[in-house]
Amino acid sequence: MNSVSFISSLPVVALAVPVAMVVACLFGPVRRRIPDWLGWAPVPALAAAILTAGYPPLVLEWAPYRLMIELDAPGAMLLGTAALLWIAAGVYAGGFLQGTPHREKFAVAWLLTLTGSLGIFLAADLSLFLLFYALVSLPAYGLIVHDGTATARRAGAIYLGFALLGEGLLLLAFVLLAAQPHGGTLRIVDVVTAMSVSPSRGVILALLIAGFGMKMALLPLHVWLPLAHAAAPMPASAVLSGAVVKVGLIGLIRFLPLGVALPDWGHALVGVGLTGAFFGVAVGITQANPKSVLAYSSVSQMGFLASLIGMGWSAGDGSVVQVAAFYAAHHVLVKGALFLAIGVADVVGQNRFSSAVLWPAALIALGLAGLPLTGGALAKLAAKGPLGYGMVGTLGAWSAAGTALLMLHFLRCLAAKANPEGKTAASVRLVLPWWGMVVAALTVPWALFPRVGLGTIAEAITPAALGKVLWPLVVGGLLALGLRRWGSRLPEIPNGDVAALGGGISRAAAGIGTELERADQWVRRWPVAGISLVVVAVALSAAMLATR
Amino acid sequence: MPPATVMAQAADASGIYLVLALVLPVVGILLNFLAGGRYARVITLGLLAAGLGVAAGVVEGVWRTGAALTYLPGGWLPPLGVKLRADGLSAAMIAVTAIVIFAVGLYAPVEFRVPRGKPETRKSLSFWILLLAIWVAMNAVFLGNDLFNLYVALELVTFAAVPLVSLSGTAGTVRAALRYLLFVLIGSVLYLLGTALLYGQYGTLDIALLAERVRPGPGLWVAAALMTAGLAAKTALFPLHLWLPPAHSGAPPAASALLSALVVKGSFFLTVRIWFDVMPGLTGFAASQILGAMGGGAILFGGIVALRQARLKLLIAYSTLAQLGYLFLMFPLAAGALAAHSGVNLALSAGLYQAMTHAFAKAAMFMAAGLIAEAVGHDRIADLRGIGRALPVTALAFGIAALSLIGVPPTGGFFTKWMLLSAAAATGQWWWIVVVLAGGLLAGGYMFRFISPALAEAETPLVIQVPVARGRELVVLGLAIGALLLGVMPQKPLQLLQIGRAPNPVAVWP
Amino acid sequence: MSVPTVLGICAAFLVGVGLYGLIVQPRPLRKILAFNLLGSGVFLLFGVLARRGAAAGWTADPVPQALVITGIVVAFSATALAVALMLRLFAETGGTSLQDDPPKAVKSEGADA
Repeated sequence: MNSVSFISSLPVVALAVPVAMVVACLFGPVRRRIPDWLGWAPVPALAAAILTAGYPPLVLEWAPYRLMIELDAPGAMLLGTAALLWIAAGVYAGGFLQGTPHREKFAVAWLLTLTGSLGIFLAADLSLFLLFYALVSLPAYGLIVHDGTATARRAGAIYLGFALLGEGLLLLAFVLLAAQPHGGTLRIVDVVTAMSVSPSRGVILALLIAGFGMKMALLPLHVWLPLAHAAAPMPASAVLSGAVVKVGLIGLIRFLPLGVALPDWGHALVGVGLTGAFFGVAVGITQANPKSVLAYSSVSQMGFLASLIGMGWSAGDGSVVQVAAFYAAHHVLVKGALFLAIGVADVVGQNRFSSAVLWPAALIALGLAGLPLTGGALAKLAAKGPLGYGMVGTLGAWSAAGTALLMLHFLRCLAAKANPEGKTAASVRLVLPWWGMVVAALTVPWALFPRVGLGTIAEAITPAALGKVLWPLVVGGLLALGLRRWGSRLPEIPNGDVAALGGGISRAAAGIGTELERADQWVRRWPVAGISLVVVAVALSAAMLATR
Repeated sequence: MPPATVMAQAADASGIYLVLALVLPVVGILLNFLAGGRYARVITLGLLAAGLGVAAGVVEGVWRTGAALTYLPGGWLPPLGVKLRADGLSAAMIAVTAIVIFAVGLYAPVEFRVPRGKPETRKSLSFWILLLAIWVAMNAVFLGNDLFNLYVALELVTFAAVPLVSLSGTAGTVRAALRYLLFVLIGSVLYLLGTALLYGQYGTLDIALLAERVRPGPGLWVAAALMTAGLAAKTALFPLHLWLPPAHSGAPPAASALLSALVVKGSFFLTVRIWFDVMPGLTGFAASQILGAMGGGAILFGGIVALRQARLKLLIAYSTLAQLGYLFLMFPLAAGALAAHSGVNLALSAGLYQAMTHAFAKAAMFMAAGLIAEAVGHDRIADLRGIGRALPVTALAFGIAALSLIGVPPTGGFFTKWMLLSAAAATGQWWWIVVVLAGGLLAGGYMFRFISPALAEAETPLVIQVPVARGRELVVLGLAIGALLLGVMPQKPLQLLQIGRAPNPVAVWP
Repeated sequence: MSVPTVLGICAAFLVGVGLYGLIVQPRPLRKILAFNLLGSGVFLLFGVLARRGAAAGWTADPVPQALVITGIVVAFSATALAVALMLRLFAETGGTSLQDDPPKAVKSEGADA
């Protein structure tokens, strides 16, 4: 009995541990040692993901809120892989931050973001979801600007602007969701069911897709992602791309009424998603910084996921959440591992670079494009179902080719950036998480595949199945050869593409600000204010007289 | 003869707290005049601590009886007598006032303390007396039930606030105080003119009696317009805000905290009384939209101009200007609710909750800015890089207050925004939704301008010229946590706000 | 035209002149005088109301007279406070201008994030 109740309370423990660590940072001695313990914080969450999926929800009555924590299968997949990534990145961060200044501030921001990232998969009611959304969005600013350079500050400011914008849109969506007549709880599944038949469904859906799409880096709200990833230190980029971006995905999974067939909305989502998928590839191949390449790859992959969800939504097929969550879980592992690879490449010497970094990275990176017998192949196979065999299916396969191209480009950039002399003692704390993530990326999908009802392993390794995922790789390889040959002819697109236009916008905004400040000084002159007072009195009486 | 229903509310024993709320501060002022010198601080702090008990008594009485507390001094009934009445709104505001003033008293800097053996200074004696004066004036505003008593109370607030602005005695602050006084005097006279018109038509100024007698008509409307315009001038609602930035930024930080957190809320409270208790629903939809437009203008205008400020205290003053706009959004939202035949309580609660939350957050923010200015010697934002490491507790308090102003969960500011958005969505007035969301973004922007460099590391660490007492930092942190608590535990305050109002309870959280 | 009506019009006139003076006159002393005019207008209005509200046996309603007395006290205190501030301003700066030193020119700065 006791063990059962302990297991069922694991989600709460998973959230309490990082919060306790933050509170402990109030004490100096603890604060100095915290960066070394970052890897331990997500362990209860991993246990919760493995053990408590499907358990009844935990309810806490905290008047007037009714807080609910619940873990369903897609949430468990995402939570588990995110926890794995946070553990690996946490261990990496401990080694990475050794001896650097301001590590304690980084650690506090890390732990706060971790709490939000874990909680967002567990939240089952509106208020908890909003709270964890704020926790995962805002402290991440501290991670991005850790280096303190001007580019980092600019990236952080743009990130924060988008985060606040998304939060505002979601707040409005949640207000509208809560305003519907419902059974008295704010449980997410209940409000979504009520929303699917409500007259204001269109407005709510638009707000939800805009808000979560921004978090998920869907076009055109993606500009913060490449900037943030390039500016943040390595472990932070890993978790940003791996776990924080998935907040948008879990939002779409939880809040869209996917069981109700809405072809208009679904096809719109597919359009946006596929555009992003190809856009990410197109811009990614012009980048030379491997972190930017990976960032644009995330944009592309998230677009692919969105189109996956959109196809399922058009058909009213609720089981697409399993596929999407599986695909996303694989992406968490691979993308996080590749970011760690960049860091490890910097540390490992030239002679060990190929064996220690390049080949494993190639293996999992091409897995993202569907290399046979990797977890990615399983993901691509599972994705074929919802995408269908029409135009969308073909485009999906072509996007896999694009991903292959992009990943080969990434490997080239990685090799180009590799440090000829490694550090004399490549720190275990940096290399071990990398290997751990490689192993996880290769094995975890195989373990999950039969568990989530996507088919059996036997089905997945038939030659026909392997062939389906092979031709995009071949095409991608050919394109990569072409890129090597003619790549220098590509235009130079700055990191953050559209954000470069922001300079003009901010100048215009500054001009407006100056004008308003002048207007303020004019309004504050005594005669003007006095006359305004009289005008207000007259206007009020006129208004009251008019509506007699 | 006044109707017998006036006596129907059983005079509960807790009514004595209403009298104490007015008498204690006045006793304190007299004692301060007599004793003066070093004793002023002790007397004032002691009475403020007792004031916390009085406020608790009022809140407990209102909560327990579930109706408004009343007290009839001398047993005289209105309209000849003066009735003191505390409904849920009053009780909540009295509690907030008591807490904030006590915190300001504890925070008061060294310059307002007279060491043993030194003669008293004008500044220190004035500060303690004015602290008590603001307290009694605010209580009078919240407890008054007669429009003329409320006029006197409002003037008391002004007379107590104006010297606070010029406390430091420099030419700039004296000028700001004089400008403040002269402008709000226009507002006072307009208000008085309105009461004259009301008396001429209905023969009474007691709120309950007026509510029974008023009928829609040009006389009522002109009176309401005059009074509202006058009160808007006293609340520095855009575009009548000429006095606010120099007054709030020139005053010493303790005084700025009081001015921003409490003084402007007094005239706002009076506007609420007039619109919701004296002539509910008679003012019409268009007029409420005008008030809302001024509020929306304040939010957007104040937010954008705040983005451009170079000095921290001016930034916070313009932030006050913007936040006051949220208060006035409740008027069109309530009018919309009336038009839709649903209850006004959601809009009313949203406005008052904003008043309470903003009081805590803004007081904490001004006091934190004051600590920073004392420690470093200036308040230029550009040169405050790295202050977060130098004064961590103060920075934490400022951060929490900023989160409340932006409206991040789980602070009180978030809860207020939720209520405002719910009310706007329920009445279909989507333009206020845009205003509220834009206001949140702008607040994020101007808070970011200070907080981002504050949390960053400076190349050369900031030198603390004058060390700051840990106790004062903790007081500021306590106020900021108050703003946080209003968001984490909103159930009881919201229920308190609704006591004494027409039935139509707000589902606190659906 | 009865006496109350004439006095009412006088009151309105005083209010108008006072308001004009307060808004237009730049010097604080004149603003204070204008405020007193404005106040006098309102008090006159109260007097008119007292006369009009006279019930049987009384020449005037006592309540507005009480209001006027209180109002005079309030206006007097306000005037005293304003004059004191003005004197202090004069002592500090040698003048009583309410104009601040000209504000520094509003520079167009780039938006600094």
